[in-house]
Amino acid sequence: MKLPAPSLILLLLLTICFSLATYLQPQTMKWGERAQADSMMKALLGDGRRIFANHFFVKADIYFHSGYYPSIFDQGHREESHSRHMVEGHDDHDEEEHEKAMDIGQPKDWIDRFGRQFYSSSHSHLDKPGQAREILPWLKLSAELDPQRVDTYTVAAYWLRSKLGKPAEAEDFLREGLRANPNSYEILYELGLLYYENHHDLVRSVNLWELALRRWNDQDKAGKKPLEISYNEITTRLAQVEEEQGNLRQALYYRELEKKASPIPDAVQKQIDELKQRLASKTVSQSLK
Amino acid sequence: MNGILEIKDLRVEYPSRGIGEPVKLALKGLNLSVREGEVFGFLGPNGAGKTTTMNVLLGFVNATSGAAYLFGVDVKEPIARQRIGYLPELTYYYKFLTAEELLRFYARIFGIPRGETERRIDNLLKLVELEHARKRPIKTYSKGMQQRVGLAQALINNPDLLILDEPTSGLDPIGRMKVREIIQRLKNEGKTIFFSSHELGEVETVCDRVGILYQGELKVEGRVSDLIQKYQTNLEQIFLQIIGYAQPVNS
Amino acid sequence: MNAVFALSNVVIKELYRRKDFYVLFILTVLITLVMASASLFNDDKIVRYLKEICLLLIWISALAMALGTASRQIPAERENRTIFPLLAKPVTRWHVVLGKFLGCWLACGLALVVFYVFLGLVSASREHTWPVLNYFQAFWLQWIFLAVVIAIVLWGSIIFAAPSSNATICLVFVLGILIVGRYLNQIALQQSEPMRSIIYGIYFIIPHLEFFDVRDLVVHDRGLVGWGACVLVTLYGAAYTLFFLFATWLSFRRKALN
Repeated sequence: MKLPAPSLILLLLLTICFSLATYLQPQTMKWGERAQADSMMKALLGDGRRIFANHFFVKADIYFHSGYYPSIFDQGHREESHSRHMVEGHDDHDEEEHEKAMDIGQPKDWIDRFGRQFYSSSHSHLDKPGQAREILPWLKLSAELDPQRVDTYTVAAYWLRSKLGKPAEAEDFLREGLRANPNSYEILYELGLLYYENHHDLVRSVNLWELALRRWNDQDKAGKKPLEISYNEITTRLAQVEEEQGNLRQALYYRELEKKASPIPDAVQKQIDELKQRLASKTVSQSLK
Repeated sequence: MNGILEIKDLRVEYPSRGIGEPVKLALKGLNLSVREGEVFGFLGPNGAGKTTTMNVLLGFVNATSGAAYLFGVDVKEPIARQRIGYLPELTYYYKFLTAEELLRFYARIFGIPRGETERRIDNLLKLVELEHARKRPIKTYSKGMQQRVGLAQALINNPDLLILDEPTSGLDPIGRMKVREIIQRLKNEGKTIFFSSHELGEVETVCDRVGILYQGELKVEGRVSDLIQKYQTNLEQIFLQIIGYAQPVNS
Repeated sequence: MNAVFALSNVVIKELYRRKDFYVLFILTVLITLVMASASLFNDDKIVRYLKEICLLLIWISALAMALGTASRQIPAERENRTIFPLLAKPVTRWHVVLGKFLGCWLACGLALVVFYVFLGLVSASREHTWPVLNYFQAFWLQWIFLAVVIAIVLWGSIIFAAPSSNATICLVFVLGILIVGRYLNQIALQQSEPMRSIIYGIYFIIPHLEFFDVRDLVVHDRGLVGWGACVLVTLYGAAYTLFFLFATWLSFRRKALN
């Protein structure tokens, strides 16, 4: 039997491939998330990208400490919330705890002592103006890899708006995070802070914090165990703003909520008592008028 | 000691390759002497011990007992190889170098001054008829050309003794003829040549003396003409008789 | 020494005539430039991540070159039988080992210079500074690191049959030291005897290659390593290099060539 020309065989094989592809393509859409991946990273790494996302988030923390970081082998190393440490100002107690957690200990032998000259072995932070920008690439990469990790957006936004003078970029990034995590009370809270501290737009910030509070409550009702500290932060901010605006009744309401989640309920109670007094005196003065 | 190359009671044993396997005796007390200016053909079937002998002479293999000398110096001393040239069988020279770069490399090993190196390279490339390909990488050379560049490297230090291991093996008739011509020319220049070959016709035309090695022992040694007269036949028949493949003519 | 320099010259020629270096360098340039072109919150002064990526690529490229070049030197000489005409000249096996080492080391050093110049240009384009001494220290220590690695690989090329298996084993060994070498003492402390003594023994015996990795200090502008420490670590690297070269020679000396 005489075979047809090789080019015809090639054409036939190509036609078979094309036909199979058109049939298989809709089928593969049902096979898993990777098939419908909307980003290169997702397509390449699938769900494994979340591990890398965490790695890059930690990398940002390492950059925040100018390369100094305890390894998993270091005795003093303990898990701590990287995002909180990277974001918040600490009191003395926090700082002490942090120093303890980050301690790599005394050199154990001459190799250890000598080797410490060749890597970052002293604890420091990116304190100089503008230096904090160096953590941003890793946060961006972390967000690309795992858009559902909300810490990434809030930490990056904090540095962008408060230390680097880039509130517009912070807002863009937070909104990007909000699109990926529409129910995130953390992002809403951070967005509220941005409007409050950078744009001085009280109305929008209150709206955002109220929305954040609603989202927190929704998650709580759904049994998702949202963070109590976030609840405390949201209610504290709302109470403060309402107090500044003179809405003492509303401020009292938020202080009551704050007290439920506060680690120092006595101090909050004191504030509640003060508010009640002010409210009472205000009512008296109004009735006198 | 009057020979350029002297081998005395040379014995080489290769260790057994596995448990229970016997030790392999490659050379059993070999004695040999090559005099200045002669061409010595070292013959023998595969596995006779020719390459082992050359390996001992070049310091690649240590003798179990006995000794070998080049120019009166024990072959264990690297300096013994200062005045020799060696052409191994089937060598693929550095493919990324050109012929002249390869010769320059070997010349540098001998510490030959730069001007002298260039002069020698020109002469040698002319001798081995590779002038036209001197700037081409060796990877583009045919087998015959590679063998000729090998011959050129063996001559870069203007050696007094040339050791050639199967210099024409694997070459086409033209390649063989060219290599034979070069050997003849070197002989005319008075070089001492010690070479192994399977081409008995070539050995007969080129060599002054031959030695036939069989199972690690030198069975016959002498001038080619004397051997032909003694055995009343050509070298090929003598070789076959010695290794037991043909009956002696007088019998 | 003529033979040593002649041999090293051939190795250098081999490296720049093969395409490995060019491919690795172009890849490094491309990846670094692509990363540099990414817009990160409209901030064009961010530089540390670029330095880190560029240095990582330099380390990977240099390691690949050192492993690739060193692992095939002696096996290729034996496979192509060029070792025979070479040793038939007044060249000893020690000359071969030393010549191959020197060639690989100088070739990698030349490549490193090109890579570090590129790193300098990339960081200067953002930072507008030239921390030449920091780069010199990083380059020098990495070069000493490569000397130790090349010596290890040359020894491996006598012991292991195939260059690929040698390169893989050496890569695992080198990466293992770089990653956990520093922490073996802490791991030892968490073990009970006799494992504790064994691990501690290993900790003191292995070449601490992590000493030569000062990328952290360069990336995070942590300043220079003391010059005294630099000299000491250079001597440390040289001692290990000599140890491995000597071991290579001892193994090669007894090796049958045919």
